[in-house]
Amino acid sequence: MTTRTSLTHDELENSLIVHFRPVPAAADLVRRTIDGLRDDFRPERFAERVQVEATERGISMLSPGGQARPPASQASKRLAAKAREELFEYLEGRRSFFSVPVDFSGMPAFQRKVLERTYRIPFGETRSYARIAQEIGNPRAVRAVGTALGRNPIPIIVPCHRVLRSDGGLGGYGLGLPLKIRLLGLERSTPVLEGCATTRIVCRVGCPDAMRMREDSRVVFASVDDARSVGYRPCKVCRPSDATLS
Amino acid sequence: MITDRELMHRVAQKDEQAFAELANRYSARLLTMAWRLLGNRADAEDAVQRALLRLYLSAGSYRSEWAVSTWLYRVATNVCVDEIRRRRSRSSLQKAVHEEAGDGQALLFPWGGGAVRGPAQNLDLQRALARVPLEARILLALRYVDGMSYQELARVRGISVNTVKSQLARGKMILRAGLTDRRRRPRTAVRIAKGAGE
Repeated sequence: MTTRTSLTHDELENSLIVHFRPVPAAADLVRRTIDGLRDDFRPERFAERVQVEATERGISMLSPGGQARPPASQASKRLAAKAREELFEYLEGRRSFFSVPVDFSGMPAFQRKVLERTYRIPFGETRSYARIAQEIGNPRAVRAVGTALGRNPIPIIVPCHRVLRSDGGLGGYGLGLPLKIRLLGLERSTPVLEGCATTRIVCRVGCPDAMRMREDSRVVFASVDDARSVGYRPCKVCRPSDATLS
Repeated sequence: MITDRELMHRVAQKDEQAFAELANRYSARLLTMAWRLLGNRADAEDAVQRALLRLYLSAGSYRSEWAVSTWLYRVATNVCVDEIRRRRSRSSLQKAVHEEAGDGQALLFPWGGGAVRGPAQNLDLQRALARVPLEARILLALRYVDGMSYQELARVRGISVNTVKSQLARGKMILRAGLTDRRRRPRTAVRIAKGAGE
């Protein structure tokens, strides 16, 4: 004897309708959102104050306020200007990666190892101090890792704000904890992969080609494969498929 | 009643009252969509807040040939999709930890659906939905939360109407297959139980 096991069209429709029936939002959800509007952080003000130094190989110093030494060459001047521009876009939530190179050469060996590892933590993700220590082959040097990160000469571009304590605590931050919280929040609300609805091309957020995209053409994707599944192709300039593998 | 478009133009001039009104009109639908995609209320509320903030900040670039609802759903799905991306990269890190802890939930509810509560929860459907590819799942959510047309869905996700149709059909096929599986299993169990009793 065979029993009827397949679902009728109506049965599936009904269960979908029930499943997606709107549930009322908490009464204070909108009020909480409005409270969030009163936020006085101005990325452009922060970016204006920032001083950047570069060698011909890459960025060597980034500091909010203070004085930068005059650039040694045209090449280093160009790099510093580019870094400032990218920093501004990053703080505005329009960039998920930095394309300017970093010059680690002036650093002590241990700090260099820590910062080079930290540099590879993807946008929007976090690691623990202990894990960084482990990955550079010095699992007991957790505190030293913290110190090396605290003296990071190129904060934000070398994302030491993505390193947290193993218990989820924030740890410290050279530029002050409020900025660390701010940067982590910023990375939570900035997407990484964005497609253009008119060209059907998917880019990393911050790709020079994607910058020209109109606001109402932006569609966020969770992976390059998802984008492909609905007819988008990866950009040949920023190569999002390579980036998401790291 | 003031139309969505009028409200939106007032939001562009940083009118908080208009923003509150608009947010209230859509909060339940946005919350449900986000909840069904993200699997738990806390993350869904967070996503809705972020979407509404984004709406407020980008109201200046709103162009009136868009229906406000379409614009708003575009913003909200963008936020949810990026949250799912973040989870995927996180889960590849945490997978080993979960498996070690014997956390079967992670296998049943890869999208964190283990914490789903709320009215009319249908675990079978939930599990079947988890197997539907993300883009199709988003379209299903939008279609059933707000009864959007194929054209609107195409606009929200920036894809062609034909892709919308084929994705929805494929999504439902996977759902049907998943739910049929589920049905068969309990019946077999009952039959075996009966057989044992005789």
